[in-house]
Amino acid sequence: MEEKRHTSIQYEKELQKVKDSLIYMAALVEQAIAKDVEALLRKDSLLAEKVMEEDDQIDALDVEIEEKCIRLLALRQPAARDLRFITTAIKINGHLERIGDMASNIAEKIIILNEEPQLKPYIDMPRMAEIARSMIRESIDSFVREDIVLANKVRKDDEIIDNLNEQIFRELLTYMMEDPRSIHRAMIITQISKNLERISDHAKGIADMVVYMVTGESVRHEEPAD
Amino acid sequence: MRRSLFFKIFGTYLAIIAVSFSVLSLFIRDEMKKVMTDQIRDQLLTYAELVDLSSTATIAGQIPQIARISGARVTLIDAEGKVLADSEKKSEELENHLNRPEIRESRLKGKGHAIRYSTSAAVDMLYVAVPVKNGQDTTGYVRLARPLHDVHDTIKSIYNSFLLTMLIVAVLSIIIALLFAHRLAAPIEAMERFTERLRRGDTSGTIFINTSDETKTLADNINYLVEELNSKIHIANEESSKLVTAFASMTEGVMILDAADRIEVVNRAMNNILALRFGDVTGKTLIEVSRSVDLQRAFLTYKQTREPVSREITLGSRQPVVLTVSISGIQGDKGSEKTMIVFHDITRLKKLEQVRVDFVANVTHEIRTPLTAILGYLETLREGAIEKPDEARKFIDIILKHAGRLNRLVEDLLTISKIELGEVKINFENTSLADALNNVLPLIEPKAKLKNIAITNLVGEKAPQIKADRDRLAQIFVNVLDNAVKFTPENGKVSVDAKEANGYIVTTISDTGIGIPKEEIERLGERFYRVDKNRSRELGGTGLGLSIVKHLMIAHGGKMEITSQLGQGTKVALYFPLAKV
Repeated sequence: MEEKRHTSIQYEKELQKVKDSLIYMAALVEQAIAKDVEALLRKDSLLAEKVMEEDDQIDALDVEIEEKCIRLLALRQPAARDLRFITTAIKINGHLERIGDMASNIAEKIIILNEEPQLKPYIDMPRMAEIARSMIRESIDSFVREDIVLANKVRKDDEIIDNLNEQIFRELLTYMMEDPRSIHRAMIITQISKNLERISDHAKGIADMVVYMVTGESVRHEEPAD
Repeated sequence: MRRSLFFKIFGTYLAIIAVSFSVLSLFIRDEMKKVMTDQIRDQLLTYAELVDLSSTATIAGQIPQIARISGARVTLIDAEGKVLADSEKKSEELENHLNRPEIRESRLKGKGHAIRYSTSAAVDMLYVAVPVKNGQDTTGYVRLARPLHDVHDTIKSIYNSFLLTMLIVAVLSIIIALLFAHRLAAPIEAMERFTERLRRGDTSGTIFINTSDETKTLADNINYLVEELNSKIHIANEESSKLVTAFASMTEGVMILDAADRIEVVNRAMNNILALRFGDVTGKTLIEVSRSVDLQRAFLTYKQTREPVSREITLGSRQPVVLTVSISGIQGDKGSEKTMIVFHDITRLKKLEQVRVDFVANVTHEIRTPLTAILGYLETLREGAIEKPDEARKFIDIILKHAGRLNRLVEDLLTISKIELGEVKINFENTSLADALNNVLPLIEPKAKLKNIAITNLVGEKAPQIKADRDRLAQIFVNVLDNAVKFTPENGKVSVDAKEANGYIVTTISDTGIGIPKEEIERLGERFYRVDKNRSRELGGTGLGLSIVKHLMIAHGGKMEITSQLGQGTKVALYFPLAKV
């Protein structure tokens, strides 16, 4: 992007500020997911509580970014590219806020899970979380670099998560059928997995918006091309 | 186009010469004309006054004579203006002359003159008239006229020679002006060329001007300034190259952010630390390239307080890098303060710290386990078990076993610390590998037999000699072989072989044991590191064996390499330097 296209340096700064805040917010939600995984593997309920507390920060950022964007829309009356950037930023902001909420949900479930003995070794869930995290990271990378190739990769990675989610569910089903006492724990694990799956949906949503921002075409309801 | 100094000076000279000459010529021309005309007029008037002494009648008869003497046209006019006689024309043809300017003037002042273009003669004529008087009465006028063309001719010839002189003088003065202007402008032009070259960055050479006026001083000053400039540039270059080298080669990562918080420059170490995924980072913001919440928070803290901030942060998730980050300001003009961030990679330090912490924890744990057992059985004995010889014997055996383990542990720890402190002396001597193995194998074989493990020694008597300490060598082999037997299930195989490679004798001890996961191999030399903690302890290991081997191999100038396949077996390769014959 040619950065010198704006006559007003102040305007330029405000746009960059929105961008930086979004990156910061993405880093926060990424961190929240990483902490979720750590709390799960180490059975660290305190860490999980911390994730829930830190969601307030993400919510505050959500409000702040939205206000900034609306002010930009009202005062600068952006056109074309800038308009697409700001509307995309508003959408990404919403997605990130939802991801933050889900990370907080997962933390809540982990606390419940930690009160009972471990049902099975957690292998697929950390993997899922890792993929979801890299999807968030890459979707934000694609936003920063305006990289459609990367955005499309994120849109395709969503399938991997969907498959993992189903796999976890099938596996848990066998546990539940074998031993009814495991049902409670299995249900909670399913919920965590479902939350991770939705996080990846939101990451895909961000990637969709990046494609829109760069090309001007809406691909939200299309399957990613191979 | 630029008007050069030379042309300015020369042009001014030229203008002065031209103006003065033209003013002079105009002035002289008019003055000459006036003087000559006056002279002719006075001459004619003298003639006319002579004529006027006679009466009108006598004059009429004398006209041709008067005309001849005076060289002028003579006209006699009566008081009414009628022409009575004329020396060149017939009087009847001429009109009344009473209103001619010269006649009018003579009537009023006694004599008159006029210069007029004469239509009859087609030339400028000078007319002079005086009244002829009879007592008080004017009876007529005598008019003398002479054409002025001879005056014109004279003036012209004089004027021509004057012009020629002027031209010669002009040429001469132009030449002088040229020389003078050149002399004045040349040094200035030389300085101009020199300074122009300076401006383009070429500061070599000096300027030499051979004058004794102000330009010389100016040139000397310029030379002095250039010299100063050169030495300043030299100093600055040296300073900046020092800084650049330091900046590029320092192990700490340095990042400088401009007033708008965008990255202005990073050094090489910084690039390595961030393992940047963004290619060129200049112009990007900190959060854009680091994606680190902690770093951004530290930065925001600095921005708010403007006080230097120092934090410990971890970057990256797969291969975390622990960094101490110092953020401080670079002084600048108000509103353009830059920020400098220095990153110091302390991952290794952190790891070492962790190893030390682990070591203390491990040692305590390792000592506590047998101690607890010993204390427990001793208490049981005191509580009365000592009275029952059968039980007492059993308990004492257990106590002995644990005490033995404690002893081994302490001995191993001592060995390791001695090796690390360099207190272990390695008595290098030419040693036969085969002998060393033959001494060690009988110690291991009983254990192997219990698990029905076959030990194959493929090292022949002819194997080359190595440089090693015999006792330490035995210690190495015992440790490695013991491990091999320990971690090989029943009916397995252990084999020992040796071959020469790259100046080393490589002894390999392979087993068909449980193997080691790939990611754990690297950590095997660490103290108390165990792949399977419970199992190893069950087998009576102290967790120090391989660590001792590793250190002893290094002390021998060799190394230990472990390759393994999970479930298939492990191969330990010991590299000994060849003995010099």
